[in-house]
Amino acid sequence: MSAAPLSTLSYRLGIVCFLVSLFFTFFALRLVDLQVGSHEKFSRLAAEKHGFKQPIMAERGKIFDRHGELLAGNVPVRTVYADGTHIKDPLALAHLAAPFLGISEKELASKLTNKRPYMVIRTGLSELDAAAMMKALEEAKLSGLYLQADSERSYPNGKMLSHVLGFVDHSGHGVDGIEHTFDQELSGHHGYRHIEHDRKGLEIVLYRGQEEPAINGRNIYLTIDMGLQAIVEKQLDVAMETYQPAGATAILIDPNTGEILAMASRPNYDPNHYGSATAEELRNRAISDMYEPGSVFKIVAASSAINEGILNEESIIFCEHGAFSYGGRILHDAHGDYFGDLSLRDVLVHSSNIGAAKIAMKLGDKKYYEYVKRFGFGEKTNIPLPGEISGLVNPPSRWDKLTITRMAMGHAVAATPIQVVMEIGCIANHGKLMTPELLHHWDLETTSPQPKIRREVISSKVAQTINSALIDVVVRGTAKQAKIDGYAVAGKTGTAQKINTHGGYLEGHYIVSFAGYFPADHPRLAGLVVIDDARLGSMANFGGLVAAPIFSKIGEASARYLDLLPTTNLSASRQQVEETSKQSSATLSFLQ
Amino acid sequence: MNYRHSSSSYRLRSTNHIEVPLLAQWLLLFFVLGLLGLFFVYLKNQQHALGEQMRLVEQKAADLQAHHDALLAKVTLLTSRGSLQRKLDEKYLDLLPIAETSIARATPTRELGEAKNMKTASLH
Repeated sequence: MSAAPLSTLSYRLGIVCFLVSLFFTFFALRLVDLQVGSHEKFSRLAAEKHGFKQPIMAERGKIFDRHGELLAGNVPVRTVYADGTHIKDPLALAHLAAPFLGISEKELASKLTNKRPYMVIRTGLSELDAAAMMKALEEAKLSGLYLQADSERSYPNGKMLSHVLGFVDHSGHGVDGIEHTFDQELSGHHGYRHIEHDRKGLEIVLYRGQEEPAINGRNIYLTIDMGLQAIVEKQLDVAMETYQPAGATAILIDPNTGEILAMASRPNYDPNHYGSATAEELRNRAISDMYEPGSVFKIVAASSAINEGILNEESIIFCEHGAFSYGGRILHDAHGDYFGDLSLRDVLVHSSNIGAAKIAMKLGDKKYYEYVKRFGFGEKTNIPLPGEISGLVNPPSRWDKLTITRMAMGHAVAATPIQVVMEIGCIANHGKLMTPELLHHWDLETTSPQPKIRREVISSKVAQTINSALIDVVVRGTAKQAKIDGYAVAGKTGTAQKINTHGGYLEGHYIVSFAGYFPADHPRLAGLVVIDDARLGSMANFGGLVAAPIFSKIGEASARYLDLLPTTNLSASRQQVEETSKQSSATLSFLQ
Repeated sequence: MNYRHSSSSYRLRSTNHIEVPLLAQWLLLFFVLGLLGLFFVYLKNQQHALGEQMRLVEQKAADLQAHHDALLAKVTLLTSRGSLQRKLDEKYLDLLPIAETSIARATPTRELGEAKNMKTASLH
């Protein structure tokens, strides 16, 4: 009687134990599944819900001039956003915040009544305004407006050097100028940090995860000297006001190294407000404008002929008394001059078109073309700025009979201002053509890039001969107004009619220029001034009357700024030039 | 008598012995474990509090840095060439000419260095 109930009890107990163990086994298995089997999946889900990859923004590198003057920096700004779920009194909040945000109270109030958790109210609010606003909100015990850190590129000098610096777009990438060329180096690399945040959105520092620090962009030092840049910009502004031209360009270089010391164009723009700039204002005319250089180009023919040993500086060229009939057309000398015999030196001094044409003809098409190319025309100078064009030099196969006569005087060829200034720099630098350089050095690097010689175009002796002729151009030739008190200046004027886009030339519209350097015996600065279509009559619109005086003013101020010693043997050199001139005239008289 | 004895021994048999030393050991173990748990929670709270302080200090440092940068940018802007020129034009500033005879040069006028880098007169 007792055995049966006992076995039933054991049986029932066994069932219960089995069910209980099954129950716990199920939970144990589920636990193993959650913790081990599906670990990755749930970890990811948790990370997605609470985790956040917080970016650590890299600071864009600053741009300085060669002496460390800041040209482009970063200004911290704030993005103001509203969390509608935290706003209790939208009207009071709008009343208090509107003056700081520069938004009308009504407009702000309408935005703040929205209950969305994230609404951007204003971007680019200055740090100081943002701090003042938050303080006011705190004092009034109002909440709902929050700040996000941001940064804005700033150009403290405004329009000055705008074409060289360029600007960055809204995403912080360089669009033009140095900002574009060295964008990668200036940008650096953004870092990140894995964080978790609480239900208020605040970081739980305890659960900070993997972190990669940001690498800030490198600071760059340009070859630009802001002292010289300011001088150039000021003179261009005066020229724009005086002559009201369509455009103007001025460049200063160190002819010994090819370093660009100043570069400015008009019209220009403020990179802080690039959105309002026109296409004309954005264009860096120094590298993207090509024009017929005019008589500045005569240097090529003269130096080539001497370098080839075909002529020397005293060789006599018959200038046809101002009218040279060739190829069915008559070539005239400018200024109404009627030269007979001129020495090669005087062809440059008096800027005879006929003389230059005859010199080039003596060289021959192929040789002359070769020298034009050797001087760097028709190819990019490789200046580290975007948008450089190569100009236009047609090969002899595309020339007609007249081309060489026109090209010799700087027509039928198109050059950029940077090419012309490198050409004059080549004469100043003993015949060595340099690569224009804008990068002085990178931050934390003590060495500067070595000056790059592109090629030796003419011998040092020939360069010296041309130098002497170019001094003469300023002393008694077409560029008397380029003189700088106390310094010997060498240079060449250029005047060319503007090309009509529909063919031919525009009557009464000229591009005038002066390219020169000083002190002529040991050149420290070479420069170019180009004035495009000055509002002047044809009789006054010459390089020697418009561009040369601007060069003189730039040179005078630059010499004072650089504290250059006045040329000690200036009077002697002038005397020598005068004597040479007299001898040259005597020779001509004898020949005549 | 026998009955008393038998009932007493029955009572002794049906009562569990409390092994005090063993119980004390267990109680101590649980107490230590509990204490460790509490200490762990305390440390975690401290960590959270320190983390929060860290976040606030970092925030403050970032705000100060931003404020410093903003002020620096303002100073740069106010002392930029354009700004100084404007002040000069508006007669807030004035430039006084210095006669050549009044300039004493401590060093001779600088020539091109080996690197052929130019420097301004101010860097003598």
